[in-house]
Amino acid sequence: MTVTDPPIDTRRVDAYEKVTGQARYGADRVPDGLAYATFATARIGKGRITRIDTSAAEAVPGVQLVITRFEPDELHDVGFIMAGGYAIQSLQPLRDDRVAYRGQPIAMVVADNLVAATEAALLIEPEYEPEPFAVKIDAEGANTLVQEQAIPLPFLADIKLGDADAAFKASPVRITGTYEHAAQHAVPMEPNASVVRWEGDKLIVNDSTQNANAVRFGLATQLGLDPADVEVTSPYIGGGFGQKNSMHLHLGPIAVASRRLKRPVKMVLPRPQTFHTGSFRPNTVHTVRLGADENGTLRSIIHEIDAQTSRHDLFPNLSTEVSSRLYAVPAFRGRHRLVQTDVQTPGYMRAPHESPAMFAIESAMDELAHLTGIDPVELRLANDAAVDPVTGLPFSSRHLAECLRRGAATFGWEKRNPVPGSMVAEDGSIIGWGVAAGCYPGNIVPAIARLTATEDGTITVAVGGHEMGQGIRSAVALLVSRDLGVPVNRVIVQVGDTTTVPQHLTAGSWGTAAALPAVQAAVDELRKALDVTDPDEVDLPAALHAKGKPVLTVEASTLGPGQAPPILDRLRSGGLAIGGPVYPEFVTFSWIAHFVEVRIEPTTRRIRVPRVVSVADCGRVASPVTAASQVRGGVVWGIGAALREESDVDDRFGGFLNTTLEEYPVPVNADIHQIEVDFIDEPDLLLNPVGVKGVGEVSMVGVAAAIANAVFHATGRRMHRLPIRLEDVL
Amino acid sequence: MSTKDSTVGLACTVNGQAVQLELDPRESLLDVLRERLALTGTKKGCDQGHCGACTVHVDGRRVVSCLTPAIQVTGQDVTTIEGVVGQDGGLHPLQQAFIDNDALQCGYCTPGQIMSGIACIAEGHTGTDDEIREYLSGNICRCGAYVGIVAAVRQTADGA
Repeated sequence: MTVTDPPIDTRRVDAYEKVTGQARYGADRVPDGLAYATFATARIGKGRITRIDTSAAEAVPGVQLVITRFEPDELHDVGFIMAGGYAIQSLQPLRDDRVAYRGQPIAMVVADNLVAATEAALLIEPEYEPEPFAVKIDAEGANTLVQEQAIPLPFLADIKLGDADAAFKASPVRITGTYEHAAQHAVPMEPNASVVRWEGDKLIVNDSTQNANAVRFGLATQLGLDPADVEVTSPYIGGGFGQKNSMHLHLGPIAVASRRLKRPVKMVLPRPQTFHTGSFRPNTVHTVRLGADENGTLRSIIHEIDAQTSRHDLFPNLSTEVSSRLYAVPAFRGRHRLVQTDVQTPGYMRAPHESPAMFAIESAMDELAHLTGIDPVELRLANDAAVDPVTGLPFSSRHLAECLRRGAATFGWEKRNPVPGSMVAEDGSIIGWGVAAGCYPGNIVPAIARLTATEDGTITVAVGGHEMGQGIRSAVALLVSRDLGVPVNRVIVQVGDTTTVPQHLTAGSWGTAAALPAVQAAVDELRKALDVTDPDEVDLPAALHAKGKPVLTVEASTLGPGQAPPILDRLRSGGLAIGGPVYPEFVTFSWIAHFVEVRIEPTTRRIRVPRVVSVADCGRVASPVTAASQVRGGVVWGIGAALREESDVDDRFGGFLNTTLEEYPVPVNADIHQIEVDFIDEPDLLLNPVGVKGVGEVSMVGVAAAIANAVFHATGRRMHRLPIRLEDVL
Repeated sequence: MSTKDSTVGLACTVNGQAVQLELDPRESLLDVLRERLALTGTKKGCDQGHCGACTVHVDGRRVVSCLTPAIQVTGQDVTTIEGVVGQDGGLHPLQQAFIDNDALQCGYCTPGQIMSGIACIAEGHTGTDDEIREYLSGNICRCGAYVGIVAAVRQTADGA
């Protein structure tokens, strides 16, 4: 394309559908004869159900089914996704008399309408035999396991580099701190929602999922179906953030109910139930030891983590994957322990391990800067890593230093008075300026793209991936438009649809980085098929006409670096096929630096965040508009993590207590002010030919740490627990 | 809670069209719009009045439809995102401003944000960006598109 061409429209390609209400999410359909399902849930912390009276529920007019238990051959095991299965946890409710945690479904009602279903669910009368339970990781009944022994997989072996303990002891400057991160819930705006129906022996599922493959193969496994007889579509997801990354456990029950009633069934989980039926970010406690020279050069890092899991599954923690890579350090020792508690299985919530880990490490680095009198930005630059400290391999790209330098200049960091509490606003608010870096692993998965060119000039791209707000449709459409010269609005992007190409889990910030190389490969195939080698734009109708084909379809697949073609079989059979961040010849991470101003109001001590500057290295920026929104969103999430969000538990009750959007406060509009985003925009051509790395999660990593460091700068008080409360700054 | 099989009549207009329905008096306006009229542009985020995703206009005033019993709108005019149009019959300026400012990500809260934003402008609560932020704080965006949302409302208010 030449410079004289008009600029490509980079606005979000599916924005029109979204601003007009035409985009259809999981439950946005009302097929004929639709029935409505709802759960009744356990109100004890743990135990068993001795008796359950459903007569009142069954008497509600309009109720069609009340189910308290499915037969084992009706709902087979699906398995926890991190243990080779497809589901959010191994425990499938409604199969026995056990209550593993408060909030677990104990009965399901299906009725002609929602009010009848809701009323009937409230009339379910269980009797329980309660048992002792533990919901806190320091509770007596909690059970602590050493992760690398409990899950003996190579990628979970604790990272040990040199003799970190000896190096720490020998260091002239030593920092020791404990940093706790609260449990949190992702609460995507769209609750888990599905509509299922049968066409003969074929099960048709409209779901809100980041993993249509898992829903398809999970339901096939659970119901004993041929996967070819399960179709799953999830074209628009009302936010995922990891909470929708595997099969949810209402799907099997409503599919069975739909088959029994011979009617479509819809289930929208009530917001409070999503706090117990979906995964959550586990509570973690991090103990960090930094050893350094007087000039701030790191000699040793020791990072020990206790992370919450459930009784029935081990959700692996990967905190040290990032804490070992941020700086050049000759000695590192990690240790992960998993603490079993009586909750549903925790899981991935945006930057699941990385955001809490970075709060710990970057708080400790801020302490080191304060102790040595070195500027926090200079300290980070001085400890920049040239190669991966863990493997000795080069990074495929690392522009963290440039992120720090550019962010500091944009923010005006040189005007910072390093003395805590020294900067005061006109209204008496104390100003604090904080910085933190962040990184996120560059994982990758194989992908298949199918491209159909039509003589009317449209190109339809079906690719593995899910659209949950990150803008994957826009990134794909822009790539095709830039390459072929087709207007963006003539590129139709199909994602989240198992009837097209396999739909691997979209998570871990690999969605766009996996989809784009496959789409690029398919575009290259199309050019070959049409004999168009000219790099300029393609006259599609003419080229198709010349070939005598009104429609031409090509397909291509791509693998991650070092992956072999058999991995495509895993993709096609619904399994996880994740590569990286350590590849045969290099190591890939995305990098970011955040600069934050906080103001602590003089009387209320309320903490506000008037401005943030974030500079990211996510490789080439494939879609500038949506990428910038991703980073702003990550910053908002960091503000929520630092100042608002905590899922409370109580030893007396079990489960989580604050299960509404009123009591689990996420940032609202009035909490958010100026957020300035910049990108290094240097392609990472080792990772893939398109040069893109992930951005959705690295955008959040380090934000909470930067806020906590800004609060230190304002108050002189080190924050050891998130979220920060008013009482912490009184 | 009653288990009687009793219904009541509802007569109102929705997006300018007359609607007559027999309802369970417990049905929310939100569920009637979505499940009976298949107007699924209005979203259910919490069903408790906390998130604003279900915001619609009743006689021009913004309400959370999940906390509005449907029978309460008898004789009133309901407008949903499907009924929002610009003067030329195309997009409303605020819808266009949402596109231009990328004031959305996943799009699930967007219909509610736009209904609230139109009302916020009509109410005159756009004097400063902070005022816009306060008067749009009943609409949660978990993706965190707030910077764009404020810009879109600002642009539309200034252009009006």
